[in-house]
Amino acid sequence: MEEVINEVVDPEDLKKFEKKYNKELVAGQITTNTQFEYAWALTRSKYGNDIKKGVGLLEELFQQGDEQTQRDYLYYLSIANFRLKDYEKALKYCRAILHVEPRNHQALEMEKLIKDKMAKEGLLGMAIIGGAAAVAIGGIAALGFAVSKK
Amino acid sequence: MDDDVLTTLKILIIGESGVGKSSLLLRFTDDTFDPEIAATIGVDFKVKTLTVDGNKAKLAIWDTAGQERFRTLTPSYYRGAQGVILVYDVSSRNSFNRLEQWLSELETFSTKQDIVKMLVGNKIDKDKKEVDRNEGLKFARKHQMLFIEASAKTREGVQCAFEELVEKIIQTPGLWESDSQPKGVSLTDTGSAAVNSCAGYCSLV
Repeated sequence: MEEVINEVVDPEDLKKFEKKYNKELVAGQITTNTQFEYAWALTRSKYGNDIKKGVGLLEELFQQGDEQTQRDYLYYLSIANFRLKDYEKALKYCRAILHVEPRNHQALEMEKLIKDKMAKEGLLGMAIIGGAAAVAIGGIAALGFAVSKK
Repeated sequence: MDDDVLTTLKILIIGESGVGKSSLLLRFTDDTFDPEIAATIGVDFKVKTLTVDGNKAKLAIWDTAGQERFRTLTPSYYRGAQGVILVYDVSSRNSFNRLEQWLSELETFSTKQDIVKMLVGNKIDKDKKEVDRNEGLKFARKHQMLFIEASAKTREGVQCAFEELVEKIIQTPGLWESDSQPKGVSLTDTGSAAVNSCAGYCSLV
C-alpha cells in the first residue's frame, strides 16, 4: 500500500497528460477521461502544488461522477490528501469508500495505513471523533455522495 | 531481514476486467478469497518473498485494474517489470479473445526485451467452460509464454503460476540483478526443478 502512495509520476507522463488536458481546455471541451488522467498524474507528483491541483480536479470529477467512478475519485482523494499530510481528510475519504464497499481491501489497507500514521503522530483520538462526524454530516454528504449500494 | 534475498523482481498482473487478477494475487499473498471482491481501483501492490530452487526472491507485484477507464493510466506501471502474468477467465470467451490486445499493449509499454510472460486461465472451478485448455496452451506456445490453468477460489495452480514465472526469470540471464553480494548460489543448478511441487503440472512452453 505504501508503495502505491509513495510512487512518483514520471515527469514525461505528467507532461503528456497536462498537454492533453490543456488542449481540451483551450477547445472548451474537457472529457472526463482526460481530466481523470491529468488529476491522477498530478496527485502522484512530488510537488505539493501539483497534488493540490489534482485534488481540485478530482473534486470536480466527483460532482459529476456515477457511483463506480466516485469510488475511484474518493480513493485518489484519500491518497492525495495523505501525500499532503492531511490525514484527517484522507481518512474521511477512505471511510466513504468503506461505507459503500465495506470489504474493499484497497480501502481497508489505506485506512490502516492512515491510522498507523496518525497514531504515530498522536492525531488518532481526534480524528476518530472528527472522522465519524464528517461521515455523518459533513464533507461526504455535501459532495453529494450516494451511499446506497447498487 | 532481507539479507538472504537474492533479488527483487517486479511482477505485473494484467488482463480484462473481472477475470480474477486480484483474486489470484490475494490467494497467493494472503491465502484469502472473496467471491465478491471489488473491482480494483487503478493499481494495487503487494510484496511476497518466494523461494524457488533455493533462491529467495522478493516479489514486488503490481496488480492493475482491468476496467477500460484505467487503460491509459496503468501502462506506466509496466516499466521495468521482469515478469508478467496475463490472465483470462476460462468461462469467458471474450476475455480470451482480448489477449492479443493485452500482449500488444505489453509490447508497447514494457521496457525489458525478454520479460517473462505467464498465461493464466483462471476460474477452472466453474462448470461453464468457454475456453478449452488446449486453446490456452496453443496461444501460450504461439507467443512464447508459460501457461497454467488455475483457480483462485480452490487454490489450484496459483502458487505454481508464480513459482514457475520466478524460476524462469531467474534462469534468464540479464533480466535481473542481484540485490546483494553473491552468496555462492549456483543459478545453473536447476537440477531440483523437476522435483518441486509444481512438477508435471505447469507447462513450460
